Amino acid sequence: MIELETTTPYFADKPEVLSEILSRYPEEGRRSALMPLLWEVQRNERYISEARMHEIAEIVGITATEVKGVLSFYSTYHEQPVGKYHIQICSTLSCALAGANEMYDYLVNELGIVNGETDAEGRFSLQKAECVGSCGTAPVLLVNDTYYERVSKSRCQHLIQALRQDDMPEPWRERGGDTEGANKAIPLGRSTPAAGQEGGEA
Amino acid sequence: MSDLNAGRADLINSRHDPRYEVTMYRHVGVDGAHTLEYYQRHGGYEAARKVLTSMTPAAVVDEMKASGLRGRGGAGFPTGVKWSFMPPPDGGPRYIVCNADESEPGSFKDRYFLEDDPHQLIEGMIIAAFAMHVTFGFIYVRGEYYHGYERTVAAINEARAAGLLGKNIMGTDFSFDITVHRGAGAYICGEETALMNSLEGMRANPRLKPPFPAAAGMYGRPTTINNVESLTSAVHVINKGAAWFASMGTEDSKGTKLYQISGPVKRTGVYEMPMGTTFREFIYDYAGGPTLEPKAFIPGGSSTPMFPWEDRFLDMPMDYGSLAKNGSMLGTGGVIVIPREKCIVDALYNLVRFYAHESCGKCTPCREGVGHWLPRMYQKLVAGLGRPEDVDLLENVVGNIRGNAFCPLADACVMPVQASLKWFRDEYEYLAEHGRPKYQKSDWWQA
Amino acid sequence: MKVVVNDVELELAPGTSAIDAVFAAGDDVPYFCSQEYMSPIGACRMCLARVGSPRKDRDGNWILDEETGEPKIFWFPNLMATCTTQVSEGMVIDTESEAVKNAQNGMVEFTLINHPLDCPVCDKGGACELQDRSYEYGDGLSRFEFDKRHSEKHHELSELITLDRERCIHCKRCVRFFEEVPGDEVLDFIERSSHTFIGTMEGGLPSNFSGNIADICPVGALLDASSRFRGRNWEYDHTRSTGMDDATGSAVIVDARTGRIERIKAALNPDVNKTWIDDGTRFGHEYVDSPDRLTTPLVRRSGELQPATWPEAAAFIAERLAGLGGKDVGLAIRADSTLEEGVAAQALAEKLGTGQIDHAPRPAASVIANRPATLTELATADAILVLGDVTEEAGIIDLRIKDALKGVTPPAMMAHGVPIADLRLKERMPRNASILTVAAPYRVDLMRHAGTAITYPVGGEAAFFAALTAVAEGEELSAEQSAALGTDIGTAKQLVKRLQDGKNAVVVLGGFALARRDAADAARAFVKAVGAKEMPVGPMANSYGLELLGVLPSHERYSYEGMLEGARALVLSNLDPAKDPDVAAKLKDLELLVVHDMFMTETALLADVVLPARSVYERDGTVVNLEGRFLPVRAAPVEAGNAEDLTGVVRYLGEALGERMEGRSVRSARRVLKKRFDMDLAELADYGTMPKARSRAAQRTSPREAPATGGNLLIVPSMARAEYLSRNPHLNAAVGGPKLRMNPADAAQQGLMDGAEVRLRAGGIWRDAVVHVTNNVPSGLMTLPTLPEQAVGVTQADLGSLVVNQVRLEVAS
Ligand SMILES: Cc1cc2nc3c(=O)[nH]c(=O)nc-3n(C[C@H](O)[C@H](O)[C@H](O)COP(=O)(O)O)c2cc1C
Ligand code: SF4
Ligand code: FES
Repeated sequence: MIELETTTPYFADKPEVLSEILSRYPEEGRRSALMPLLWEVQRNERYISEARMHEIAEIVGITATEVKGVLSFYSTYHEQPVGKYHIQICSTLSCALAGANEMYDYLVNELGIVNGETDAEGRFSLQKAECVGSCGTAPVLLVNDTYYERVSKSRCQHLIQALRQDDMPEPWRERGGDTEGANKAIPLGRSTPAAGQEGGEA
Repeated sequence: MSDLNAGRADLINSRHDPRYEVTMYRHVGVDGAHTLEYYQRHGGYEAARKVLTSMTPAAVVDEMKASGLRGRGGAGFPTGVKWSFMPPPDGGPRYIVCNADESEPGSFKDRYFLEDDPHQLIEGMIIAAFAMHVTFGFIYVRGEYYHGYERTVAAINEARAAGLLGKNIMGTDFSFDITVHRGAGAYICGEETALMNSLEGMRANPRLKPPFPAAAGMYGRPTTINNVESLTSAVHVINKGAAWFASMGTEDSKGTKLYQISGPVKRTGVYEMPMGTTFREFIYDYAGGPTLEPKAFIPGGSSTPMFPWEDRFLDMPMDYGSLAKNGSMLGTGGVIVIPREKCIVDALYNLVRFYAHESCGKCTPCREGVGHWLPRMYQKLVAGLGRPEDVDLLENVVGNIRGNAFCPLADACVMPVQASLKWFRDEYEYLAEHGRPKYQKSDWWQA
Repeated sequence: MKVVVNDVELELAPGTSAIDAVFAAGDDVPYFCSQEYMSPIGACRMCLARVGSPRKDRDGNWILDEETGEPKIFWFPNLMATCTTQVSEGMVIDTESEAVKNAQNGMVEFTLINHPLDCPVCDKGGACELQDRSYEYGDGLSRFEFDKRHSEKHHELSELITLDRERCIHCKRCVRFFEEVPGDEVLDFIERSSHTFIGTMEGGLPSNFSGNIADICPVGALLDASSRFRGRNWEYDHTRSTGMDDATGSAVIVDARTGRIERIKAALNPDVNKTWIDDGTRFGHEYVDSPDRLTTPLVRRSGELQPATWPEAAAFIAERLAGLGGKDVGLAIRADSTLEEGVAAQALAEKLGTGQIDHAPRPAASVIANRPATLTELATADAILVLGDVTEEAGIIDLRIKDALKGVTPPAMMAHGVPIADLRLKERMPRNASILTVAAPYRVDLMRHAGTAITYPVGGEAAFFAALTAVAEGEELSAEQSAALGTDIGTAKQLVKRLQDGKNAVVVLGGFALARRDAADAARAFVKAVGAKEMPVGPMANSYGLELLGVLPSHERYSYEGMLEGARALVLSNLDPAKDPDVAAKLKDLELLVVHDMFMTETALLADVVLPARSVYERDGTVVNLEGRFLPVRAAPVEAGNAEDLTGVVRYLGEALGERMEGRSVRSARRVLKKRFDMDLAELADYGTMPKARSRAAQRTSPREAPATGGNLLIVPSMARAEYLSRNPHLNAAVGGPKLRMNPADAAQQGLMDGAEVRLRAGGIWRDAVVHVTNNVPSGLMTLPTLPEQAVGVTQADLGSLVVNQVRLEVAS
């Protein structure tokens, strides 16, 4: 066992947080607490340091190597601190069709950072993400844990402005389909042209 | 139109059918619908009460079998049959895992349950747990769904406080509780055995099958994994009866299903429809039709091979059998419309990049082929540096991957590639020959 | 059950994997991830084959094929990884069709797209599975035209293992090895998809078995750091022999080139070490090549040791001996001398007519079990009690115990050898720790895997076993008996019950239990009381053999310790008693001191004659491992100057004394041994033999006893032999020097910090050590690794004598 950096253990002064997380899983599953413990640390420190990996390894009774193996497997655990506003842009097909790439280019210009970077003052970091499960409301941004959907250019500008003032706007809620409440999705009648006849109505 | 539906008049397979009513998504999107108070005011937990107080576990399983409900996670395996695979109780722990990892591009139906109607899912899990003598449940929520995660955790606490979870539910001698587990960004965690590894705190590589989860799943104990929608469907199967459920759909696909649509159409979103509804009815009558001239559509999430925009495919009923017959899959029912002006090679590059990013790295063809080689081939093609031979090479390489990988993820990547080559090879060849795409990619970003 | 492989029909045991079916049929299929004695995982996808099987209809009859009328074969829709497919009745396996060949070709191509193909500069070149398989199953050309993955090429995973990340093909053998075999998860995959690589966070690979990953890596990604860039595989002479670092008799292959040992690898012995060896056995050979090896005899003339020929040296000795009565001469050899050398020593003693003959180190109690257990019995035991630190003492015992915890019996050998894919083995298999109890006076590594861990009072072995026996006999325990248990009575009762109920219960008696007669007697009484079998662990490679042969004094006072005081002349082989100044003083008064050794030791410096000795890798002979298994020792072609083993010494002395003694050569010694054990040892097979009828051990006399308690220092077993550590740079760096381990409180009190290099007089002997502060040793106790001259057990360290040479600061990584 190597010497740990002399940082005070994260959970030293949070016994109740620790026991709550451990209590979520059956005895045979102590190791299951690994991911929630990593989340707990990351949500408060914005990344997971090596010292924390060793600490968590101790807690769940595995080696730090296994902890690193697990956390590095996932794309949303960070081993370096990210910005106060960690912006994820969904870049997969439905969002791409709706302009995710243009939105990315816009943000690169606005924030002066590219995919994977954090700006000098540590306010913004930018990350291209794969499908975040919001294809119906593309294009989509995540700011930390909050979804911003149907992000038009104007909305994007406004959002960045707001974040610069450190206020997170309420995410606007538009979803379409039955997700507006079943009664909202009244059929548009039976106008069903055969293929080839319809033109772009946009 | 759809003569494929001929002789099925008795079955409800159009949302236009007056007998049809929205059930699962009835309250999704309504303010306050996520609270216990709202849910119970609208008849919530009555199905669970019925099951716990008036039915035997075996009877519940039979009811599910009779309903003809098939798994909504993509594989479409009959849910009742799956539940019957659980071995007889031996006194040890048994688990149910709700798969809420929803990471398939084009799918976004499960998220709204977590955010707006978590109690419906909880009720479905109670029913399933009772039917299979399960002692404990997990809901595996993809990491990005933080809002849904919080709502679901809150709902579970509400339910527990109200005696709907925990010891002696509703005063019966049935005890059951649920823990919500957050993922952290890995598509493979949707695969049920990888999901269990992730839940156990391991790297999320898929496991060997056999043993199947029912024999040795979580912590080596009997386990059943179900998609969110499969479980919420169970609530209504119990409420309204298997016969009601089976009165909708087609021969091999019963009940209602949540279809999703994205891409250039008027009203993207999630629609609950009877199974067997045609793509045409869905896309035009409900989604309001394309807003850009379409040339293809992906029927059920990015892993399902695409179809060109042709009547024979538009008039296809959205059920398991019809899609299988036509060389694709219903998958999660996530339709993606692809406009004419979008270069198909570029579209597939986008998807290949996704699978390359999500490969777990365990097996060689997927790690090296999907994870490394394919994206580079596409990059080269899209950059206009490809040669005509490159198209044949691509076809040959995906052929070497097909069917040879450890788990279905690799096939989920190469089958759509093969479909795009089947229907739009001309675009590949044009790009390879001229060094520029036949169609300038047209991604629009609203002002 | 009946299985058809490429039209060859064969009968196989149920549970067999399809890949083993293919090999059993004499055919071949490529594979990278499967590995003998480890779980099959189906990751590399090289072993794909077309597989089909007949099906039964509802009434249980085979569904027949219309045309043939034979059972219809239903082919799986996809090719199957044969390593993870279990054979079934009537299964048909095809590895030769186009489809299969194409797939294999495709997998080779995928495997190679990110492989650097730097074979010309790769140590594995010529012995690389990927290289071979690519030739056999690839079509040679890669259609991959893009940049290969670039990453670290010389990453030091530890002092002993270097990793080339570009060469890794992700077979996961190394990662699985650590988890499945020693259970030390010190290596894992990091990242995912094509970015996946292996790495560690432990600052090295803290495991006694790390070297095995270099053996099983199918490519040149993991390399033995001590032999990197030394030579190409085909330039090595491979000598199969037996590991001489401990009493397990592990099979090894010694790779030598131009008269020098380059590396040691594990060899297969299914009944002993399977295919694993510990790092001491693997990396502990560098001393053999050290520049200060003695290569020619030295004779003291006018106070000076001067070079001489063997005949000169022998004549000198013979002349001096003439003046002495046989009884005055003492003869002691090291306990890793071969049986053949033992015969030579006996012949010499007989010629001189002395009863002062012994081997050392030699525990107070016999290393030959009354109720012996084999390693295979240990690996299949259902209840195990270990006393001591076997991980350090005899690593293979540690691994075989871990087999037992998995409850998987060793696989039956097949025509092609060990099954390639034993489908009973799984990743992260549950281990039934409850069957294992480990007891020691301090915290030992194996306790991590033990259901019950007991730390009893230092030197309390006799009392410990006595108390356990009392429990077994259902007696009420007195206060001090309870204290001696080192655990509560309930736990002790459970332990005893488990051993009594076990169908195959084994008690492993480490050095602490054999260090004193009362302890060993108590232990054996307990073993008898619970009806278990015992496995005593002798201190050295041939402790068992030399005791069996009877290289023993005729009387207690003639034992090694005795002769150091009593004899007027001494012949010592590979022993260095002068490390103790008091002994050195006595040796000065000897009329004749002959030292047979590899180095100019403290004792050699006092000698009248110094004879150059061969290392254990330079001898031919036989050893008997702790099971009583006779195993072959074979000399590797190593340049050793004029060094001789004991048979050589006796040959020259015989000539000088004008007598052709038995044991003057390995051949003549074996004639004696044939009579003694009726075995022709020249014919001994690689896997060795366990004599059916166990030949009666020689009448045994005990050496002088160590004190029971009252010591502040415990001499403990060590995987890395302390006497050679300073000449084994890689191993030394890896284990962090000869460790003086102490509790933080004691260290603070002594003002010592972790890593301080100190010298102190311990049990009389001056020892150099590196302070290692740990909670694993109780306060008031320190530990030091054993030496041939300093057997395990309790002794006294003179803290007053302690001097700090240098303070090395451990940098936290
Ligand atoms: C690569 C891959 C990804 C998957 N992703 C999901 C998913 O996100 N959600 C889901 O419910 N099922 C997913 N599945 C299917 C699950 O493995 C499993 O079949 C399903 O959850 C079973 O539930 P069901 O029977 O109710 O459909 C995925 C399968 C594969 C091979
Ligand atoms: S196909 Fe192989 S590498 Fe890809 S996700 Fe499945 S197991 Fe992992
Ligand atoms: S998949 Fe690697 S050996 Fe079978």
